[in-house]
Amino acid sequence: MKSESEALFVKELKENQNIIHKICRLYTTDEDSHNDLFQEITIQLWKAFPNFRGDSKFTTWAYRVGLNTAITLYRKKKRTIDTIEFDSSFHKVTQDDYNFEEEEKLKLLYSAISELNDIEKALVFLYLEDKDYTEISETLGISEVNARVKMNRVKGKLKKILNP
Amino acid sequence: MDELELLKKDWKKQEGSFQQISEKEIYGMLHKGSSSIVKWILIISILEFIVLNGIGFFITDKEIENFQKLHPYLNIIEKFNYLILLGFIYLFYKNYQSICVLDSSKKLIKNIIKTRKIVNYYIYWNVFIGSFFGSFAFYDGFKEGYQKTNTNIEPLSDIGVLIIFIFSMLIVITLIFVFYKLLYGILLNRLNKNFNELKKIDY
Repeated sequence: MKSESEALFVKELKENQNIIHKICRLYTTDEDSHNDLFQEITIQLWKAFPNFRGDSKFTTWAYRVGLNTAITLYRKKKRTIDTIEFDSSFHKVTQDDYNFEEEEKLKLLYSAISELNDIEKALVFLYLEDKDYTEISETLGISEVNARVKMNRVKGKLKKILNP
Repeated sequence: MDELELLKKDWKKQEGSFQQISEKEIYGMLHKGSSSIVKWILIISILEFIVLNGIGFFITDKEIENFQKLHPYLNIIEKFNYLILLGFIYLFYKNYQSICVLDSSKKLIKNIIKTRKIVNYYIYWNVFIGSFFGSFAFYDGFKEGYQKTNTNIEPLSDIGVLIIFIFSMLIVITLIFVFYKLLYGILLNRLNKNFNELKKIDY
């Protein structure tokens, strides 16, 4: 029988699943690994669900558990090859907003991100998700000042790849 | 437009492109087992505790009896060893309980590594105590062997026995060390790398 908390969890997760998909996209390179990591994050979220209190948003909580699972708990399967390039077919653009130059830049950017290490990827992810430095520093366990310094370095690294 | 702003815009656009998981699929996932690194560490650690403590069962009572008669004071050390085992199990459990996925990444990794280290210390302790007991058994075995075979070969001096013992112990310890480096190198490599990266950011 499905319990009340199970139903609540499934509903919340279904509504916010894109957060997890985005983390999987950043940390995996093929569909099977994407699904594997999605499942592991779901299991970890469910295991931690009894500790989830309504006073923080499900999403805040999902960011932390999701990233922690990707960085720490997830064991990459053998078939995952780190150097595979980011699947650029992922982002589909419609005809009317197609811009060749922008597309090329994006391809380069995504490929550059795939070369970053796990922690740098986490920083980029939190930046892309518009998280402030307080949340970034709390999520990763580093000081706010150093999070800012490191973020600037990573941004510089990405820009340098685009404009060598 | 700034490249990173362009990336951000594109990043937000992709939301619609993910294949959505249904409620039924999520329910299915909830009842699947985790394959997280913490689970692996727990399984391997329990196996190590069992194997290290199970070795005793393969030695017959008679052998132990004879050994104890020869070295009665070693009994005390054996009893003390059980206390040590309980201590290690308690420490391991306490550290294992402290692993919480809701902590910051740095704290989470630190707690996992700490938990793993407890088992490593337990193994070091076992190697030490094993060598200690082993040295007595080795010595006895050598003496007995000479008495039984009744050869004309001059018995080795105590120093000779000691040298052979140290040499065999070195081989055993090296093998154990290589095995663990390989096993935990594979298991903890990523964790250590990420932990060092986080530490580097703060220093």
